[in-house]
Amino acid sequence: MQKTAIYKLKIVLIAFIVLSISSCSKDEDLGNLSDTIIVRHKNADMPAYIHGNGSEKIFLITLHGGPGGMGLSFRGTAFNSIENTCAVVYFDQRGSGMAQGNYSEDGITIDIMAEDVLALVKVIRKKYGGDSRFFLLGHSWGGTLGIATLLKNQDEFLGWIQVDGTHNPRDLYLEYIANFERVAAEQIKIGNSISFWESVNKLLVDVDTEFNRDDIQRLNNKAFEAEKKLRSDNLINRPRGGRDDLVFKYNLLTFYWNVLNTQSKLDPGIQGILSYTDRLPEIKTPSLILWGKHDMVVPTVLAQEAYDNLGSNIKKLVIFEKSGHSPFGGEADLFAEEVILFIDQNK
Amino acid sequence: MRKYIFAVLCLFALSLNAQDKISDTTSFLDKIEFKVGYSGNLIWNNGLNLGAEYLWKEKVKTKTRKDKLKTITHQYLFNGNLTFSNNFSTETDAGIFTNYGLMWRRTNTKGRQISIALNPLGYYRSFLPETYEVKGDDVKKVFLPGRSYYAPSLSIGLGKLRKDKKLTARYFNINLMYRTPYNAGAAPSISFQYGYRFNFKKKK
Repeated sequence: MQKTAIYKLKIVLIAFIVLSISSCSKDEDLGNLSDTIIVRHKNADMPAYIHGNGSEKIFLITLHGGPGGMGLSFRGTAFNSIENTCAVVYFDQRGSGMAQGNYSEDGITIDIMAEDVLALVKVIRKKYGGDSRFFLLGHSWGGTLGIATLLKNQDEFLGWIQVDGTHNPRDLYLEYIANFERVAAEQIKIGNSISFWESVNKLLVDVDTEFNRDDIQRLNNKAFEAEKKLRSDNLINRPRGGRDDLVFKYNLLTFYWNVLNTQSKLDPGIQGILSYTDRLPEIKTPSLILWGKHDMVVPTVLAQEAYDNLGSNIKKLVIFEKSGHSPFGGEADLFAEEVILFIDQNK
Repeated sequence: MRKYIFAVLCLFALSLNAQDKISDTTSFLDKIEFKVGYSGNLIWNNGLNLGAEYLWKEKVKTKTRKDKLKTITHQYLFNGNLTFSNNFSTETDAGIFTNYGLMWRRTNTKGRQISIALNPLGYYRSFLPETYEVKGDDVKKVFLPGRSYYAPSLSIGLGKLRKDKKLTARYFNINLMYRTPYNAGAAPSISFQYGYRFNFKKKK
């Protein structure tokens, strides 16, 4: 009786060990990744949330806007489809989201943040294998950071996806003014939200004609307001879906505190000063430029400038007709299609 | 660091002084109460708070108003807390923190309490998920990853005595904590604490 019990116990134990080992199989995990890892680099601990299909070991590293945004803000709608194709890495940059650390004010620069992205690449290689391959996507401020990263080491990436991001923060101020003048004239002519666009014209009279730090903030705020008006006038699609549980992922007090701190430290060295336009020809990586036609935050003229100057032999510019600053929300299906096609063609 | 050591020594000295003053009237168990409760902000962080309060000084004022006897008690207590909280959604905001300081508490005739606690001595240790440190081309997995912060706090609370109950009182505190150095500055946080106090007083 006792021998039978011990025999059965051994079988259960062996079965448990075999099942445990098979459940730890890397291939099975890679097909449906849902990992959170932290990259510790130069006194910062930065979360990377990795989701999706990593079976081909293709990782799309996403760089959020801001500076000071949230990595997971991309998740949902378009990125749900992209996660079926590859593993998407949602990265909280230094001083953003839930990233923490201990560094001086000199410890947060675009140069160090670009090194952080390259450190993330090394960490993913360490965790998932040296044969991992990478695409880089940057939205808004993430577009600036992405360019800075590629200029440090573009050999790490199979492709670059620029989404309504600026390679030229130096000239953004004047582009704001020119774009507002154009759009305000168009909208008043067709009778859309006339009082709002007249208030835009008043603002344009009020702001400096040369770069002014206070005025760029006013123009930036007005740009977001303008997109709301364009949405209510049905020129921009309303964002579909999105992540309902995002509010539970980030402590909003910590998040807003980080936004204020990070922007106050980074912006003075970037706005009205930094431009990568002259260095874009150095980027030979295949590039996809995705832009909303009605982007008021980073005007569309910068999309054409990026396309014209990038040194890549393989490059494509796609303008989303019914989108503003975030086409992945407004035209999610089309956005996902373009990204998946680009990855398939260049992997 | 020197000023923290000085502050600890001051508190220790005050504590010894306080013990001298009231040791002949009440025992240690009469003066200490423990507390256990929820700590967090319901949405992002949720956790458990354990603590102890040691009575240092007490003033009882009695007055008659409209033929009713009113008793107002003012207490000064040494206060210590140990709290664990976590964002269970992402695991990127887990931490354990402990703080020590002084609390003032007023109790009215009906047993309703208000309190203010200032905890200048605070330590926060964050716990991070799987972490890799990158130095040049070298990538190493970090053992027990996390960060340490100096974390003073201020707590404002309400409470109610529960007569003849094992759990002697309940409390609700709003706790403001400041973590530093955090990134290139400091980070504030707000949490609520709701729980019960109990003691091991000898029944008379």
